Amino acid sequence: MDPLSLLRGVLDTAEDAARALIGRERLRLAVTGLSRAGKTVFLTSLVANLIAAGRGARTLPALSDAAGGRIRRVFVVPADTETVPRFDPEAHLAALAADPPRWPERTEDFSTLSIAVDVERRTSLGGILPERRVTLDLIDYPGEWLLDLPLLGTGFAEWSAATLARLRRGRRAEAAAAFLDFLDALPPDAPAEDALAKRGYGLYRDALRACRDTHGLRLLQPGRFLNPGPRGEAPLLWFFPLPETARGGLAALCARRYAAYLDDQRTTFLDPFFSRFHRQVVLVDVLGALHAGQEAFEDTADALAAIAGVISGANLIERLLGAAPTRVAFAATKADHVPTRARDALAALLEHLALGARGRAEASGAATAFHALAAIRCTEDAVATLEGRAFPAVRGILLNEGKGATIYPGEVPMKPPEPAFWDAAFFQMPEFRPPRLDPAGGSGVPHLGMDGLLAWLLGDAL
Amino acid sequence: MSGAPQPRIILDEGAAPAQRLDFGWEKAVAAPPAEAARWSSAGLVAGGIAVLLLGLALLEAGNFVAAQFARAAWLGAVTLAVALAGFGLVFWGIAREARGYLGLASVDRARAAHARGDAAALRRELAAWQARLPPGRARAGALEDMPMEAACALVESKVLAPIAQDAAALGRHAAMQAFAVTAISPSPALDALVFGWRGIRLVRQVAALHGFRPGIAGTLALLRRVAMDAATVAATDVAVDAMVRGLLSSRVAEHVAGEAAAGAVAARRMILLARAADEACRVIPRAR
Ligand SMILES: Nc1nc2c(ncn2[C@@H]2O[C@H](COP(=O)(O)OP(=O)(O)O)[C@@H](O)[C@H]2O)c(=O)[nH]1
Ligand SMILES: [Mg+2]
Repeated sequence: MDPLSLLRGVLDTAEDAARALIGRERLRLAVTGLSRAGKTVFLTSLVANLIAAGRGARTLPALSDAAGGRIRRVFVVPADTETVPRFDPEAHLAALAADPPRWPERTEDFSTLSIAVDVERRTSLGGILPERRVTLDLIDYPGEWLLDLPLLGTGFAEWSAATLARLRRGRRAEAAAAFLDFLDALPPDAPAEDALAKRGYGLYRDALRACRDTHGLRLLQPGRFLNPGPRGEAPLLWFFPLPETARGGLAALCARRYAAYLDDQRTTFLDPFFSRFHRQVVLVDVLGALHAGQEAFEDTADALAAIAGVISGANLIERLLGAAPTRVAFAATKADHVPTRARDALAALLEHLALGARGRAEASGAATAFHALAAIRCTEDAVATLEGRAFPAVRGILLNEGKGATIYPGEVPMKPPEPAFWDAAFFQMPEFRPPRLDPAGGSGVPHLGMDGLLAWLLGDAL
Repeated sequence: MSGAPQPRIILDEGAAPAQRLDFGWEKAVAAPPAEAARWSSAGLVAGGIAVLLLGLALLEAGNFVAAQFARAAWLGAVTLAVALAGFGLVFWGIAREARGYLGLASVDRARAAHARGDAAALRRELAAWQARLPPGRARAGALEDMPMEAACALVESKVLAPIAQDAAALGRHAAMQAFAVTAISPSPALDALVFGWRGIRLVRQVAALHGFRPGIAGTLALLRRVAMDAATVAATDVAVDAMVRGLLSSRVAEHVAGEAAAGAVAARRMILLARAADEACRVIPRAR
């Protein structure tokens, strides 16, 4: 930890203490999850349901009870002169309620929002004293960028070696065939030519995209290759992993760009937004990983562990300064994709999937818990008759066709499945239409288990 | 897949597009009807003492009147008149307190109806509230058969916005006075006293704009609400700062530049207080 960030940490801690003293706490909530895990939808549901709960609706019963019914008011903190885009839950909600409904687009940039929760004080004088205000700071961002966090401590040579080793195995090798051919044809002393660098970058980026989109793989770095963000594809990105034997100008150029890329990500994304969290939720599309096969499942676990090591695994000084989250909740999202009785299995499976991540969080003194939730419940329980037998299933309306369908999601194992399980063909869960929603979101949105998660995560702070 | 069948999608029979699912969520989460406020034990004790004092005093007075009648008819009549007048005043005071207090509760009822989206209840509350407004205040008129949103917008622009302007004017006036007091007062303790008194008066003045005439209990309840809203107003309102700056650039400020800091704080408080009081008395929340 350099002196400057230490000083900043001390100042932040002093501010936290002062805020607690006057009953104006700030809670920075890290909502982490790989791309398509459901972060944007989770934040939308969180905001809508919290605001409705502030108006007295029982949208989050477990949270209201955990707070002893003392939540008096919830509102979005009005914008000031922030330079960062604002997360827009109303727009997302309106799109979900529209006919035909639309899910949020792929998140391309940062956005932030603060929610103020006014709670009556716990003391017997609570009715007379002014209320406490807990401000929840939320951020939304492209999930792909998260995987740049573990890169910060890794040099170019080390990263190249690990990435290429992975790229030559299993389904990745298939997706990256063109890139690997290009690498093999590259002379070790290739000169620093931009045409070469760009070509290698393009092939590597396409390989990453194929890994993500057709193979459901997750441990794909660097993040901006997959999701360049609002600034597009700058020359900064024209690099790619090179084998150790490469010694020429191109290798030096790639190493320089790699370092510059990390520097840029650190100053624009990681340092301002990803330092200092008080609470953390890790969202995981467990069922999606399960349906994408063994390699994708294990890749998801590796990616989660790599990220957790950075966010929740703060060092001793940071922990002393209160810069590491004290509670880390892991949640299997889209729990409405499985029938009620399979949801516990989903949470149990997540516990195994996130074993590495959990270890890192607990090593730094955080409490952990596992949940299954649906930020927006889109299905109801149903029964599917398959091969003459009845199986619990779910019924929903398919997003594109607008037709009803009963989906049997397969068996959800409680622990990492036996090898035989993986012999099955891959399955792609369809997207559903959200249920009928009030576009103004006056009563929140139907969800499953959001309140249990929030009660555990935030209940003690209210 | 280890015995269990493969995952699959079974499309509904027929080609007709299906309705979106409806979980009846709005109804399921609707705010439970506010449960009647329960009495705390301190409240029970205080209530009991009040009943004892008043009841025994009544009995005592009755006995006394009867005894006086036994002595002489005229003596009895005079005593009765005195007792009636005295108790009459006491009960009148109590009734006024109760009305002032309950008037404030109607704000909560109206807001709850608004939050629930209960148009009928809201219309009823709004009508009762309009009837209570001080004479001379513009009213929104009949709100029947108007959609709730439209009724609220009408009340906001016709009634609540002018009231807010008047409240702000009262606040500016009080701010000038508070500022002047800091300039001439000999001791900070006196300042605090004057501010306290002026602040309470201001809150009651603003409440009167909204048609509330709170008594002692009502004023206490009102002050509590204001304390809550003050935080919101302070946090959200940059306009207050601009207003204070505008006020203080007047000539008064130039003369007492040395006192400007303390005066600015006091003036700012008054303006904030007027806003917070207005916020606390509104029958429908300000649209954020
Ligand atoms: N059925 C269902 N689908 C969900 C839910 N949350 C997310 N999804 C689906 O997952 C997709 C990705 O969600 P999103 O929030 O954009 O993921 P992000 O990349 O982590 O922000 C959405 O387009 C939905 O189709 C949920 O609670 N229930
Ligand atoms: Mg997103």
